[in-house]
This record gives sequence, structure tokens and C-alpha cells, in this order.
Amino acid sequence: MTNHWNDLQYTDCALIMGANPAENHPISFRWLTKAKDKGGKIISVDPRFTRTSSMADVYAPLRSGTDIPFMGGMIKYALDNNLYHKEYVAKYTNASFIVKESFKFEDGLFSGYDEAKRAYDKTQWAWETNEDGTPVKDETLEHPRSVFQLMKKHFSRYDVDTVTKVTGTPKEDYVKVCEAFCSTGKVGKSGTIMYAMGTTQHTVGTQNVRAFAIIQMLLGNIGMPGGGINAMRGESNVQGSTDFALLYDSIPGYLAVPKAIPEHATLEGYNAKETPKTGYQSNKPKFVASLLKAWYGPNATKDNEFGYQNLPKGNKNYSHINLFNAMYKGELEGAFFFGTNPVVGGPNAGKEKEALGNLKWLVAVDLWETESSAFWHKEAGSDSSKINTEVFFLPACSSYEKEGSISNSSRWMQYRWQAIKPLGESKADLEIIHELATRIKALYKNESGPAAAPINALYWNYGEGHHPDIDLVCKEINGYDVNTGKLIAGFGNLKDDGSTCSGNWIYCGFYPEEGKNRAKNRDNKDTGMSNYLNWSYAWPMNRRIIYNRASADPSGKPWSKDKAVIWWDDVQKKWAGHDVPDFVPTKAPTDPTGTDPFIMNKDGVGLLYAPTLNDGPFPEHYEPFESPMPNAFSSQELNPAAVVIEGDFNKRGFKADFPIVATTYRVSEHWQSGSMTRNQEWLSELVPHMYVEMSEELAKEKGIKNKDKIIVSSARGEIKAYAMVTKRFKPHTSGGKKVHQIGMPWHFGYKGFATGDTANRLTPHIGDANTTIPEYKAFLCDVRRAD
Amino acid sequence: MATEYVKFVDVTKCDGCRACMVACKNWNDLPAEPQDFLGSAQSHAKTTADTWNVLQYIEHENSKGNLDYLFRHSACFHCTDAACEKVCPENAISYTDFGTVVIDHEKCVGCGYCVNNCPFEVISLKEYVDKNGDKYRKANKCTMCTDRLEEGLQPACVTTCHTGAMEFGDKAAMIKKAEERVKQIKDRYPNAMVYNPQGVGGTHTVYVLAEKPSVYGLPENPKVPTSAVIWKDYAQPIGKMMIGATTMAVVGAFITNTIISKKKNGKNEDGGDSHE
Repeated sequence: MTNHWNDLQYTDCALIMGANPAENHPISFRWLTKAKDKGGKIISVDPRFTRTSSMADVYAPLRSGTDIPFMGGMIKYALDNNLYHKEYVAKYTNASFIVKESFKFEDGLFSGYDEAKRAYDKTQWAWETNEDGTPVKDETLEHPRSVFQLMKKHFSRYDVDTVTKVTGTPKEDYVKVCEAFCSTGKVGKSGTIMYAMGTTQHTVGTQNVRAFAIIQMLLGNIGMPGGGINAMRGESNVQGSTDFALLYDSIPGYLAVPKAIPEHATLEGYNAKETPKTGYQSNKPKFVASLLKAWYGPNATKDNEFGYQNLPKGNKNYSHINLFNAMYKGELEGAFFFGTNPVVGGPNAGKEKEALGNLKWLVAVDLWETESSAFWHKEAGSDSSKINTEVFFLPACSSYEKEGSISNSSRWMQYRWQAIKPLGESKADLEIIHELATRIKALYKNESGPAAAPINALYWNYGEGHHPDIDLVCKEINGYDVNTGKLIAGFGNLKDDGSTCSGNWIYCGFYPEEGKNRAKNRDNKDTGMSNYLNWSYAWPMNRRIIYNRASADPSGKPWSKDKAVIWWDDVQKKWAGHDVPDFVPTKAPTDPTGTDPFIMNKDGVGLLYAPTLNDGPFPEHYEPFESPMPNAFSSQELNPAAVVIEGDFNKRGFKADFPIVATTYRVSEHWQSGSMTRNQEWLSELVPHMYVEMSEELAKEKGIKNKDKIIVSSARGEIKAYAMVTKRFKPHTSGGKKVHQIGMPWHFGYKGFATGDTANRLTPHIGDANTTIPEYKAFLCDVRRAD
Repeated sequence: MATEYVKFVDVTKCDGCRACMVACKNWNDLPAEPQDFLGSAQSHAKTTADTWNVLQYIEHENSKGNLDYLFRHSACFHCTDAACEKVCPENAISYTDFGTVVIDHEKCVGCGYCVNNCPFEVISLKEYVDKNGDKYRKANKCTMCTDRLEEGLQPACVTTCHTGAMEFGDKAAMIKKAEERVKQIKDRYPNAMVYNPQGVGGTHTVYVLAEKPSVYGLPENPKVPTSAVIWKDYAQPIGKMMIGATTMAVVGAFITNTIISKKKNGKNEDGGDSHE
């Protein structure tokens, strides 16, 4: 989140799209209810009328996979009706930048496309630059190749008629949404966008979020209280896990994974390639050196590139889908599953289960035996005589049985203490990792060679005994001076000369001095605008609203009194306010770059045009991998940069056999693949059965009655479930034709108290062009009665 | 006498998360009782002896022709004139100083008259087995966490409610709040009303409903059955005076069976209409 949960109460309008927070992030409604009490409006855009829709002032349906037309039309609406915040757009975004003549857009393709590689040459989208390398600008925004004019042209195709024809949204509802949300472009108003996996789990997932970013910058909503783009994370600690690199393409603190490319052959080369010359990211070599010092300790020296060569370097896409494809093809020998259950949670789960049988060994670490760790059982539909995988199960303890921190969607790192001792032989993940690391190190101690070198170089110094000293882990994450052991006050003090370490630079500052672990802060006094600065610690540097420099005008005054966050105090010569400035605290508005609020971007401004993404600098609509209608915007059906895996691993269905759009979602009562909640009786009794929601119209066509047992089929498989016939689903009219849509929860498997067929046996193995997140949220299927 | 408290439930602030149901089971140590699929998001058709509150989910087309998805936390109303208390031949049901209505299991004989006479159908019998293997029954329902109230805590459901859809407090203040809330939401919900039925002397669970009571399957104007009033307020005291308490209980059981037991037992509790 750019903002945080408590901040939602300051919104004048919350656009909730690709999310159902009333059900999946219920705590948000504690704050949205307050916003409503103060006259704030809530908009719910969803294929299905959800619990969130019931709490909303405006509801608009759309067909799954049509978010870009929906938002593209809103961008056009804001531009056409002059509802955007002109000064904000001119000063705080790249609207004024001039793009090179090589940039073109034609029939759904940006310039530089290589069909064989399904990739773009992004250099064709670059800026025109001055001699000093800075972008050429036209602050009148009139230049035909200015970002502003290109954006206007790009989205001019997203008129209300075309948009609603594609999304299936009734026109009057659509206009109501545009009106309500674009009204937050006024000074003194702010609007927030709240989203979750309904936005991201598409072949255009990244561009869906980009579309949100564009409208929020046009309306001047970034950096504002009650504004921002707020990703509601799918687990209590997803934020923390991605911060700490549970993403295949990053190492801690969102630094790029070194690859087997010539530029990354040396640390110097890596730094040169990954470090922009301007903006805060120009400090990156300090963060990288400090991370390597944390990993390799005294074994990291200036002479050995701080141990950089110990890092494995590959040149593949190591995302979930590709790992399972490799496993399916027998290219992987073993796997560790820490609290993951892909036989329920993975896309095309039937194939993922098959893939597991190709492993030599599998180590599963979980609270319960899951559908994945028991994939070889007869109950799982497997023939164990044909499976040679050796499965080890390590019992893990729950969060209440261990100490540590989680980082919530607000980026708050909150410490949690142990409530009870672990039951039985179960252990904390940290302890399991610690034991593995120390034992593996012991095994390699007397070995040499390329396999042993990185293990011997690893600095593992978290105390004696079976249980690591978690305080030492915390200190290392924060970072300290390696010569004196003194803790580092903040990432501004990290060095690239090997004198500091920090296990995750974005968290540097949470433990600034001995005895002061700020994740343990629990002062619930409101320090102003509900930012609660002394409750836990928010990265970076305890800033609660990021980009908050943008809440003030270029001269440093808040755009409006009601929405003040920080302001320039000319007497004290520093930024003052209700939040920690996301800016150099003493940099005056009149200083060079003193009006550049987006400090993490190279040019200090927000990116209306993002020439770094794999699938284009502007969001463009493409239909999902499986779609019921041709693309109305171009002849490109699928995102041209989405990687398609051909063959048996990823069967594709078409409209003729599978005419119904399907999507998946969660319920309040179950958590992810259900391995925790389906083993809990009180939660299981609340949602005990697998069901599929469908409209009365579809049910009638198919001769299905409420509570009937039905079969849902896709190109990948079939599942059995109960039919839940509901008024909350209505057929969409897309492309002038009636399109049915159904939806279902994906939590079920055969284990636990609440059992049922697994929805993900139906979903496809295709991912987003930038992140490879699977397209769980829009695919084709058919339904029929089971008897 | 302690302050008279009510639980104020504003259904228009409820987001249907069902934390109240889990909190109730947790505090009161009630077992799970998974049901057959009901055809909706609702888990139980109504409250039972082991499920003291149930979140109702109702799809309702409102007067403007728009779809509303309504939620209601349903549990015992703790009536001021409680029919269950009136019909109990064993005086097992009583009022506390807080205004809550509680069942004394020491006295309850499991006759089921309270079950049959509750205007809101919230009481149920549970079967137990004693150490000799003999079966016996007791009536069960929400206690408004009277055990918590005695310790200065609020009911578990109220404590867990994160949207502020439930509050527990001084009766007059809560009723005032409810009335003000109805004014605020009249635009969105023209049929919104305070539900605090006077036919049972008012209740200690006061609702702001988004729609008419019938939409939630609630009686528009619930009353304590006249027969129950006659029994409790006239026949029982006179009878006890004349023939002694024990004999009166036996006579009472006969009278209640024939006069008061107006409903049939064995009502299907785990299926059927879920109001969706």
C-alpha cells in the first residue's frame, strides 16, 4: 500500500476493484465505515455482487479480464471532462516528457515487437534527452509527442460505448462510477483505489495496476491521505515475504536477482546495470554491498567483490509456473515446500500434482499434512506404486508458538511474541532453517570446489544451540557497522565500502540502537491524521504515506488544509507535519529537485508513461488467454508479451466447447489453500462445502436448481461442486451477446474437516507478461448437472 | 440493580464476516455442527443448541428494484417479557440484573415449552448422556455472555465485531443511537427501522434493520402468547398455593402440553429455506 489501513477513513471515494475486502480483508471496513460516516462514497466494481458491493454506494459489474477498458475509459473521461489535477500532472508526473519518434502504437502493438521472442525492444520507447541526459520537457503539455498528448491519443479509443460493449457494464452504472471517482480530482478531495488478486492475476495484471496508477496521478491522489493505490495483500505477511525476496526476480529489498548475463558477471557490472544515475536508487551499490556483508560477513571483502560470485546466476524465468513446468519435464530433482500447497493453490493443479511425482525428494514444512505433501496417496487420486518421490514432512509450529514479526499491507512491521510453546515436535520455520543451515555447513566444512564455496562462505552467526537468537537476526536485518557492531540509524548511513551490513536495506532503521526494536512499538496515541507513528514500524523510515511530498504543492504548502500530511516549515527550514517526510527532510522546495516527490523514480516524478515494462508504456486491452469474444480494440487477442507454454502442460480451451467465463475467489472463513482453516472445525462449519455461484439465468438454461450437484469442466479438467444459484451473478452483455460468468472459491481439497473438489484443477498455466502471476481470474469453462 | 444494558446491532454496518459466530463458539466452548449445503452463504438455517448466533444472508430486491445483500447477526433477543420465562414450568429461566434472560441447567428438565413458545425461535434442546448412559435434554441459547458481563466484560460477539455493527451499552443511549442511525440511512434504506418490539416489552437486543422485519423472517409484532401469560401469572402461582410446588409441576407439565405447546417438535433445523 502507498497508504495504510487506518488512512482509509480519510477517503472521499474508495474505488474497490479486483477485490472483495468486506469478505477478504474485513478489517478495511472498520475504516471504510468511518469514511462513510463522514460522507465518503464506496464504489464496488466486480463481476459478482459481493459483500463489498452490498456495503457500496455504487456497484458496477464487469466481465472478468476487462479492467483495462474499464479504467482506460475512466482515464479518457477524466481527460475529456477536465477533471484532472493540472498542476499536479504537469509538475509531479512525466506528462511533459517528450518521447522519441521511434515510439509507435498500431493495432494493439507498440513499436519494437519481436514476434518470435514475444518481446519488445524497449529502447524504441525512450525519451528524447538533453545533452546532460535529462529528458526533454514541454510543460505546456502541447507537444504532440509529450507523454500527455500520447496518453490522450492512446486512451481516446476507450470511449464509453466501446468500453461498456467489452466490459458488459450497463452504461449508466459505468458513467456513475466515472463521475463519482473522478470527482476526487478536485483540490481538497482524495480517492483511494483498493485492489487485490482480482486485479493482478491476469495476463495483463501489471498493466491493470498501471491503469490505476495513471488515474490516481491524473487526479492528484498519490501522496494524499485517503488516497493512493492500496494493494490488499492476500496473507498477513505477504508484504513482509515479498520485501524479503519471496519473489523469483528479486533479492531482499527489491534488488534485482543477478543473472547469467554479461553485464552481471561482476559486482561492478551488476551495479552499473542496475543503478540509475539519479533519484534515490542511485544509492543502490550501498544496499547491495551491505546485503552481501550480511550474507558473507568477514568472508566478504572488497577484493572478492564482497562474495558476489557466491550468488547463483541463471538465465531463466524461475516463476511458479515455470518451476512446475520444469518439474513436469523432470528437470528438477527436489523441492522444499514451506507452508505452500500447490496441489490446491497452484494453477492447473492436476498437472502440478503430476509434476510432483517427478521429484526425487520433497521436503514439506507445514502445520498439517496437506494435499501436496500427501500427493502420492490413493485419496489424492495417485497410484503410489508408480511414484518414486521420497517425501519428508517437517511439522511447523503456528504463529502463536513462535516469536518474530510480520509486515502487513500497510508496510507495518509488527513484532509478535510467543504465546505458547510449540506442540509436539513442531518447530518455528526460523529454527528449521537454522538447523538446516548449520548442518549443511558442517557437511561441507572440509570440502572445496564450486558447490562448497558458497556454503562455506555463508556467515551464519546467530548464536549457539538449536534455536537461533532472533534478536541477532533482527539486528542483521537492520544492519550494523561491521567494525564496531553499532546499529545503523537508517539506510542513508549504509556504505558501499564493506563497513556496514544490512540484510534488507528497506528495513534499515527499524532497530536504530541497542534495545530499540521499533517493530515492538505499541503506543496507540494518534500522532496526527491517524498515522500512529509510534505503533510498530513502517518501512521506509517509518513513513506511513509514501510519496507524501506530493500532498503539498510545489511551494511546499498542503494542497488543502483538510488533507495536510507534510509541509515546508520555512522557519525551521525543514519539512514538518503528521508523517515522516518521504523526502530529504531539509530539502527546500526551492532547492534543486525540491519539487520532485517520486524520489524512487529516476526522474523524481510519477510515471504516466512507463517505458520499462515488458508489455508497453501504456496499458492496452488484450483479452484473457481464454476469452468468449474477440478483442474489440485491436487484432491482438492475447497480451503479445505474455509467455505461452505450449503442449500438454497448458491445454487451452475455446469458446465453442467452453462458453462460460469463470473466476475464482476466497471467502472470509478460509485461508489460502485451506490447510490451516479446513483443519479448524469452527471455520469449517461456516463454509463446509465446495460450491459454484451462478446466475438464475444460466441455471435455467442448464436445468440446474439451487443446491444441485454440478460438474464444471475446462480444457484442464473437471470438478464436482454444489450449485449456488444467486441473483448476485447476472449474465454480461459483451460484444452484443449474452456472456455467462460463474465464480467459485479455490480453498478446497480432500483433507481436513471441510472438503471438496479443487477449483484450480480448472485454471490455466499462463502468467502476466511482467510478473508471471498466473491468470486465475478469467478462464473458460462449461457447467452441467452431475446426474 | 445494575444498569439495564442492551446489545445494539446495526445491520447496515455489518459486512457479514461471521467473526461473531466464531467468537461465540470460542467463549462458550460450543462444538461445531457442520450442516448440509443450504444453497447460500449461510451456514446454519437458524440458531441451535450449539450455535447460539447465526449470520443471516439475504438477497433482497428492494423497492427501487435494486439488489441488496443483507446481513443480520441473529441470536436471542433477551425479551423484557420473555415467553420462555413465562412458560417454563420449573422456573429454570430467569432474568438477570443486566436484563438478560438465562437458563438454569440445574432446574431445566428439557420439556421444550420454551422452545415452542419463543416468538423468535432461538431456543433449542440439546441431548446429553449421563454417566449411566441415560439420555436427558436441556434447553440452550445465547446468554448474552452473562458470565462475561458479571466480570465487567462485554459479550464476545460485540468485542470481536470490527466494523462497530454491534455495541453494548446503556439501554436508553443505545436506543437513541439506533433512532438516529435510522434517520441517517433512510435515503439508502427507505424501510429502515428500529426493531425493539413492544409486544414482548422491548428486547435487550435492539436492531437497526435495513428492511421490514419480514424480510429477515422476523415477526412484525411478536407477542407473548396469552396462554403463557395466564399460565405464568395466574395459574401457576395459584396452583402452587393450593396443591404444593411439586405436584403443580406435574400438573403443569400436563397443562403446558395440552394448552401451551402450540408448535410441533422436530422442526427441520439443518436444511430448508435459508431466506436467500
